[in-house]
Amino acid sequence: MTARHTPAANLADLVAVSVAGAIAHPSFPGLPAEPYRLAADGTAFLLPTWGGLVYNVSVGDRAFGWAADCIHPGVSIRQADDMKNRGLLVYACVGNRAKVMTGQAAGARGVVTGKSGRFSEQVIVHFPKDVRTTMAVGDQIVIRAEGVGMTLTAHPAVLLKSLSPELLAALPAREDGERVAFGVTARIPAHLVGAGLGLSSEGGNVHLQSTDRALLAELGLDRLRLGDIVALDDTDARFNHGYLTGARAIGVISSTDGPRAGYGPGITVIMTAPSGELGCFEAPAANIADLLALET
Amino acid sequence: MSGTLRWNSADLVEMAVTGQVSQPAIRQGAYLHGPDGRATTLPGMYGIAYNARVGDRAFGWAGDHVEPGASIAHPDEKADYALHYLTCIGNAAEVVSGRARGATGIVTGEHARLLVHLPPEALEDLMVGDTIQIRARGRGIRLVDHPALEFKKTSPALAAAFGLRDESGRIVCPVAMELPARIMGSGAELNAEFVDQDLMSGDRALMAELGIDRMRLGDLVGIRDVDHRFGRSFRRGWTAICLCIHGDSVMTGHGPGILTLITGPADRLDFVLDPAANIASLLGIRSLS
Repeated sequence: MTARHTPAANLADLVAVSVAGAIAHPSFPGLPAEPYRLAADGTAFLLPTWGGLVYNVSVGDRAFGWAADCIHPGVSIRQADDMKNRGLLVYACVGNRAKVMTGQAAGARGVVTGKSGRFSEQVIVHFPKDVRTTMAVGDQIVIRAEGVGMTLTAHPAVLLKSLSPELLAALPAREDGERVAFGVTARIPAHLVGAGLGLSSEGGNVHLQSTDRALLAELGLDRLRLGDIVALDDTDARFNHGYLTGARAIGVISSTDGPRAGYGPGITVIMTAPSGELGCFEAPAANIADLLALET
Repeated sequence: MSGTLRWNSADLVEMAVTGQVSQPAIRQGAYLHGPDGRATTLPGMYGIAYNARVGDRAFGWAGDHVEPGASIAHPDEKADYALHYLTCIGNAAEVVSGRARGATGIVTGEHARLLVHLPPEALEDLMVGDTIQIRARGRGIRLVDHPALEFKKTSPALAAAFGLRDESGRIVCPVAMELPARIMGSGAELNAEFVDQDLMSGDRALMAELGIDRMRLGDLVGIRDVDHRFGRSFRRGWTAICLCIHGDSVMTGHGPGILTLITGPADRLDFVLDPAANIASLLGIRSLS
């Protein structure tokens, strides 16, 4: 292992602001009561999906194989009002500290581990499993949001997104002149980047497509874990997610796989650069469960 | 020979659906952001596009997501979904209110609204809010002897106009160009019966290199290694035939809108390049020569 190295950033200039949300309740569409969604092969399925308190899936666990559709590990929070929820989604950064403010778990501390995308619009927060058993849907959680506005002093072409100073300090990194590189567990080719393309890269994630299961197995991507740091090749996530030869985005696996076409594990992008300014290197252990020392 | 292909056209139900000509709407803070963050405000979506017609170029407009012709929607959400899910490309449309009443047109696309081509003189008499009625027919269409293929938004008129050929059990469709799967973007989160998936035009050098920047509104396009049956996803060994319905965009992850028409396994569905494969001429809307 090389010694931990953190590229210089404008840490002294960052503003820490409160954003809050309540633990979200899972929801389904209304009448006519059709709870089913379609899998990529056209079959109807009914499985637990995003939202709520998830007791037995945590960051660090496998991303594949759950009987679930894009489950968020731990606790999902949101604001009822869409504009306030947008503030929560944009400001919260992976690695920010969260605190339970109401209910039986009041005072318990957690960590932001990701965001979800279009149609769900929630922030995902890790709490230890024993804390989750004392929480209730509706409990208010406040996040000390810090990271929006963060830049790498020597690498202005690299745009940081949803990235807290805590996680930046913990990421495996290498600097070589104008190029900076971060450690990732896997690289995802552009043709497997799916749902979330064309949508905001500030408050929403992008999904690894898992319809071609055989290809995922060939590439070893079916072994990804929740919390893994991954690179998206030829992907420009500066302003929306999209294709660009030579661009790169780096993100965190924040939700599990699911059966829908275009979907698969959700990825919260934490940095991007358009033309080779952002490198990556193999770091099989790069998972935020360890990097942020999440309590189990 | 397309004459040998057997369609189930006699079994298709024809129903009327309506929509009203939309007014352009801009949300507060109207900026669109380019890949480098530069902000612009551009016209394109909604309303009546007087000077962008099916058959015109898809790239190069000082516009964003330009919708050719008249863009119509129904104010009731459920009725609007019926308009979306029942209408097929090539269906006949008629203006049923206002000064342009009686003018006839053809459905050429489905975006967040349905896109209807009308003769230029009819557009001059069209008012925002005027009702256009469509004779929706094509939902459920299939080739009797090719059950592996799925058709979406395909009217009998378009089915006859594709120029499909049966080559030893494999259906081959002429298309104006091929798109690589890796540039298929916004819309991956939607079901494949609903609107389109933008090609991602942000790699401008790639657009020029592959000639994609010469795409026209109404072009038929082919994509390999995508499955568009129940959503749109990357899957080796599957193919989709699609239609360019709207113009290019400045936004990352966006570009001309690509609407699914046919999808199937690659050993049952293929395409050949034919620069003339555009619905403007195939459906007799206008000559492109």
